[in-house]
Amino acid sequence: MESAEASEEKTGSLSSAQRRAEIRRRKLLMNSEDRMNRIVGFAKNESENDVGASLRPTEHGFHLDLERTEPWSSSSSSQRPSPFLPEASALGSRSHSATPERRGSPLPDYSEPPGGSLEDDLGGLRQRPRGERASDDVSGSPRRGLQKYLSRFDDAMKLRGQLANEKPPQDGGSEPEEFDPFRIFRLIGSILLAIFVRAFVCKYLSIFAPFLTLELAYMGLSKYFPKVEKKTQTTVLTAALLLSGIPAEVINRSMDTYRRMGDVFADLCVYFFTFILSNEILLLIGLETP
Amino acid sequence: MAAGYAWFLVLGSVFLCNLIKSLLSSISSFLSKMVQKDAEQESEMRAEVQDMKKEQASISMMDEFARYARLERKINKMTDKLKTHVKSRTAQQAKMKWVVNIVFYILQAALMISLIWKYYSDPVTVVPSRWIAPVERLVAFPTGVAGGVGITCWLVVCNKVVTLGLHAVS
Repeated sequence: MESAEASEEKTGSLSSAQRRAEIRRRKLLMNSEDRMNRIVGFAKNESENDVGASLRPTEHGFHLDLERTEPWSSSSSSQRPSPFLPEASALGSRSHSATPERRGSPLPDYSEPPGGSLEDDLGGLRQRPRGERASDDVSGSPRRGLQKYLSRFDDAMKLRGQLANEKPPQDGGSEPEEFDPFRIFRLIGSILLAIFVRAFVCKYLSIFAPFLTLELAYMGLSKYFPKVEKKTQTTVLTAALLLSGIPAEVINRSMDTYRRMGDVFADLCVYFFTFILSNEILLLIGLETP
Repeated sequence: MAAGYAWFLVLGSVFLCNLIKSLLSSISSFLSKMVQKDAEQESEMRAEVQDMKKEQASISMMDEFARYARLERKINKMTDKLKTHVKSRTAQQAKMKWVVNIVFYILQAALMISLIWKYYSDPVTVVPSRWIAPVERLVAFPTGVAGGVGITCWLVVCNKVVTLGLHAVS
């Protein structure tokens, strides 16, 4: 009796052990991809850090030596690998849409620093050398150059991510033109004006004079139409301009001007086309002799 | 001098080119489907994988582990085969798309060059020159005919208008 009870308990515990083992196994199988992504991201971060660490001595050897000999506290020196530990701990809470490059970014601007500890570390990493700069002018410019390089590198990675996330262009290769109400109004106005000019005005003056008047009128009327916020697309050109140091504001203004010129050109083409077409139709009907 | 319907011929050509350009992706996918021979095999493999997964879901892993594991291996093998198949199919589709695009652009370039060659010295239409002052020379380029509309100007205008029209329609 007792042995039967003991065997029953044993089989029950075995099956529960088996059950737990099975649950663990399934959990491992389900999370294997997440774990692999973390490992790959982790490995990439480490390799980037290693590359960065290996680059810095080759490019700014004396500068790096100065950094290393500075009296860092033991916490900061031990926290040298810490950018990745808080990264790893925050990965579970953070969304996985961030690119591995961003996760591994050493700069605080573009990553989501967990709890600000990363920023403090890197702030310390940067601010301490600044305190020593007054004493050493020679290392000032290379340090600034390195920081500039790092900031540009991060800009480039961010822009690369934006380019990758941007929708691919249409197969025709041309940009998709959006038809907002004001644009439709302009085009219809150009068509109507062309017909009117062909019918009544063209005998007396050039056809481009009414067109210019129309464009001036559009400039004044544009404020009465709802302004459609056009999302500025990150293209290779804008990314290259940004990285070359041109401010984003200048690029936006230039793109806006270019867009306005494109609108005027489209109006002109529609106007001229309608004019010629109406002229040919009138000639065909026979209402006008050539 | 200008032929009566030269402007219409140029307009029609531009319209045709833009229309075909908008349909290029459909044409390339249609051609790749025609060229592809083993399209049914892929759907059969997918159905097989689905059936095996259904069978696997009905099996208790603890009770019939060997059968479960065997099915798992079969599913993995079939999935890998399917992935390889899909990869080759997409590569073939990309190649076909590339070929269709190249052929189209060559044909379009040939058509445009032939139009420009034909109407190099003849304007597509003529209007009184004072109508299009002060840019009559620019509009008439390269014909040099006073009041004429040159092929280049007309091509640019037609291209823009047709693009806008097709975009509005689509």
